[in-house]
Amino acid sequence: MESPLVILIIEPSFLVREGFKTLFSQMGLSFRMEETDLPVANLGKLIQRSQAKLIIINPILLHQPIINRADAAFSGLIFAGLINEKTNDAITGQFDAVVPCNAGRSMLIETFEDLFRKRGLIEETQNDQQLSERETEILRFVALGLTNNEIGEKLFISVHTVMTHRKNITHKLGIKTVSGLTVYAILNKIIQAEELRGN
Amino acid sequence: MHITKDMKMVDVVHLNHHLIHIIHRFGIQLGFGEKTTAELCLEYGIDLPFFLEVLNTYHDSAYFPLHNLQQFGAGQLVNYLKRTHQDYLEHRIPEIEELLNCLMERPDLDGESRRLLADFFQQYKTELTNHIQNEEGIVYPYVLALERYTRTGSASDLEYLQSLQYSIRKYEEEHDDVEEKLFDLKNIIIKYIPKPKDSRLLNRILHELFELEADLNNHAHMEDLILVPIVEQMERKLSAINPA
Repeated sequence: MESPLVILIIEPSFLVREGFKTLFSQMGLSFRMEETDLPVANLGKLIQRSQAKLIIINPILLHQPIINRADAAFSGLIFAGLINEKTNDAITGQFDAVVPCNAGRSMLIETFEDLFRKRGLIEETQNDQQLSERETEILRFVALGLTNNEIGEKLFISVHTVMTHRKNITHKLGIKTVSGLTVYAILNKIIQAEELRGN
Repeated sequence: MHITKDMKMVDVVHLNHHLIHIIHRFGIQLGFGEKTTAELCLEYGIDLPFFLEVLNTYHDSAYFPLHNLQQFGAGQLVNYLKRTHQDYLEHRIPEIEELLNCLMERPDLDGESRRLLADFFQQYKTELTNHIQNEEGIVYPYVLALERYTRTGSASDLEYLQSLQYSIRKYEEEHDDVEEKLFDLKNIIIKYIPKPKDSRLLNRILHELFELEADLNNHAHMEDLILVPIVEQMERKLSAINPA
């Protein structure tokens, strides 16, 4: 399991902070939220302590509403601003993404999904779950009841390599047991039911 | 939101309808009226705190009934777990089998796929039955003997325990892929069977498999988080009195 995304939120309203948690949960994001509802004098220190990658800021809590984005401590971080119609352009313009305080659900999801994807914070779902030729070959032997040792000998590869292939097969197919793989192999005509050992 | 003694049973079911199986497992029948969990437990002679802990662990997988651990004997827990087993073997598994039998008689899927699914489920059933027999034949008798001994301190119980040469550690180490087979069966139906002419019956089967899986997960959760710690505690007491 990869470690969750750490998000720092600087926002006075409890409801808004809780709302972000709900939003990110609904988006299926794995995250940990650090919160502050007090005015911030030293943003750099706060971010460093939280180890956050994404910082959601309501600029009214910043002593200095303009963030020095050139600061090395801020490189690689994502800043999202919680703004309203009175927020001036200089403040709005410095953020990687802005969220109007009255934004609806679908807009919020779109904004953050876009942001996460651009910054590689969420993985694109892999469509290429097809087994490679080698994997299909190994699956065939597994389904026929061969042990990892026997497969290794047949294909002149180490048991360790066989195990790696099997792990990848299970990951790609979402099938963990040998009998499950056998059913898959028959359904996909990789083996014939008659070929099974003992038949 | 946790389930409390003052909640009406009807509200418990509205909160999480999956709990009807658990409520039934305690012997409580429908027609709750306005009665609270406490009132119904009294009526049916059920230990209320235990009932609530079971419902809450099921309802919220993050719920950890640590503070109430001590008040339940292992016996009560084992009884509940046995009732769960009984429920699987006598009701849930046969219900799925019945659906699979219906599937066998219908042209929704080609003959080979139907047979593969039915065979795979039979394999799963055999494994689950073996798993249950192991728990009821070895693990639970050991736990009950241990509990009896910590209460009575009788020499014959001690002798029996020592003759078993068992420890709950062994149980924790034993791995079986009962859960994995169920996981596979779901994915095979969802992803890999040739497109059925009609998926409704298969959808019902899937639904039952998901329900069974959630129940089994909770069962394992109770064993790992409640039963094992209680037994370990008793084992520590035992070895303190009778160092090997």
